[in-house]
Amino acid sequence: MQENYLAKWLNNELTEEELAKFKESKEYASYLKLREATNNLAAPDFDMAKAWEDLKKNKDNSKGKVIKLHAYKKYMGIAAAMALIFVASFLYYGNLDEKISTQYAERTQIVLPDASEVQLNADSQISYSEKKWSQKRDIALQGEAFFKVAKGKRFTVTTESGTVAVLGTQFNVENREGYFEVACYEGLVSVTYNKEEIKLPAGNSLVVINGELQTMAIPNTKEPSWIRNESNFKSIPLKFVLDEFERQFNIEVATENIDTDQLFTGSFSNTDKELALQSISTPSQVKFKLEGNKVLFYAETP
Amino acid sequence: MKAIKEEHVCKDDVYASIFNTYSKTVFNYIYYKFGNEEKAYDVVQEAFIKLWENCSKVAPDKAKSYVYTIANNLYLNVLKAEKVRLKYAPDTSAVVNESPDFILEEQEYKEKLERALAALPENQRTTFLLNRIDGKKYAEIADMEGVSVKAIEKRMHLALKTLREQIEGI
Repeated sequence: MQENYLAKWLNNELTEEELAKFKESKEYASYLKLREATNNLAAPDFDMAKAWEDLKKNKDNSKGKVIKLHAYKKYMGIAAAMALIFVASFLYYGNLDEKISTQYAERTQIVLPDASEVQLNADSQISYSEKKWSQKRDIALQGEAFFKVAKGKRFTVTTESGTVAVLGTQFNVENREGYFEVACYEGLVSVTYNKEEIKLPAGNSLVVINGELQTMAIPNTKEPSWIRNESNFKSIPLKFVLDEFERQFNIEVATENIDTDQLFTGSFSNTDKELALQSISTPSQVKFKLEGNKVLFYAETP
Repeated sequence: MKAIKEEHVCKDDVYASIFNTYSKTVFNYIYYKFGNEEKAYDVVQEAFIKLWENCSKVAPDKAKSYVYTIANNLYLNVLKAEKVRLKYAPDTSAVVNESPDFILEEQEYKEKLERALAALPENQRTTFLLNRIDGKKYAEIADMEGVSVKAIEKRMHLALKTLREQIEGI
């Protein structure tokens, strides 16, 4: 059976042989019923006459300004020129950036105009130009996002720390204060950090902590762990782990007598707070106290 | 300054005919994505006002894809909206004398179908309903969504497959 044969069947594009074969299959009856049932579906009523009336009102309002200008005929030329500049700059700035951002403990998924996908982790923001997207695939990122890039022209992610450029691949970029990480899950990405270009093949990641760069292999997965509601760390200073905890649960973290530069390897759940607290505190040999929307990590007394 | 050209979108009758031809599709298109009639209605208003404001820059044959694109962008800007809940207009097909059992069964099937439709990924649902309800050709949907016809076929295929699996609880 050819690819997407169900779509072809709905469109009467199957060959006779294929159709005969499909009719013999045990699923055929249920697909037939599905086709029948969806034949009778209708969208909700759309009152076109009312929409047209509303539109006429709105439309005239926007036209009203133009008529006003005619009253001051001698200034019209100047006013028109100014209006043009104003409109042009409004159009330009208005279309420059689509901005999408997430708060603490929030996450979102965005489909870009070319069907590339972006998943935005907590406390992050992306902006891009919808209008110029077809000429330039350029995204500015603050925070962390996972990209699935559709094949095409160069795709660039710009962060304060460095830029990442690819042609079509899957990768994760995290840029937090004092922390920059790029992990490549498919294809090849090129990272520019401190004017130096680093090529990162699939299965590798690059981490810059406080200006110190290192590359390492990533676990053999198709996507970063946070997509599956888990935050994963390998030899990362504890303070960045606690920052991530704050972002995931929207909880204020305080520490007492703890070396937050000690390295942490492990993961925590992004959905179960208690479990996450234990996953962080036990390996680090610290204790925690949870009070309302605050958590205190403190050293165990010897 | 020379008068506006005859076939221009700024001409009231051209503009009106564009509205009459495409406003319903824009409404449905956004409704399938959002599951919210009010928002879909607002998007229609905004998209056509944008068209009016830019009427001198948009050729009549480009007006269709212009309003679809605007509508889609407006949708993207409010992507974080609430979960999709879709309602469909009541079935208008003729009433036949049917046994109560049959009617009950049909009703159950319909409910399952509606749940399954709401649970579909947004792009599959939009594609599927544009084809099934609005009778849009795959090529036309591909144009609206800015993807290839093949991608639309894939979405249709997956939509049918998922719907069947959901309804039959596979």
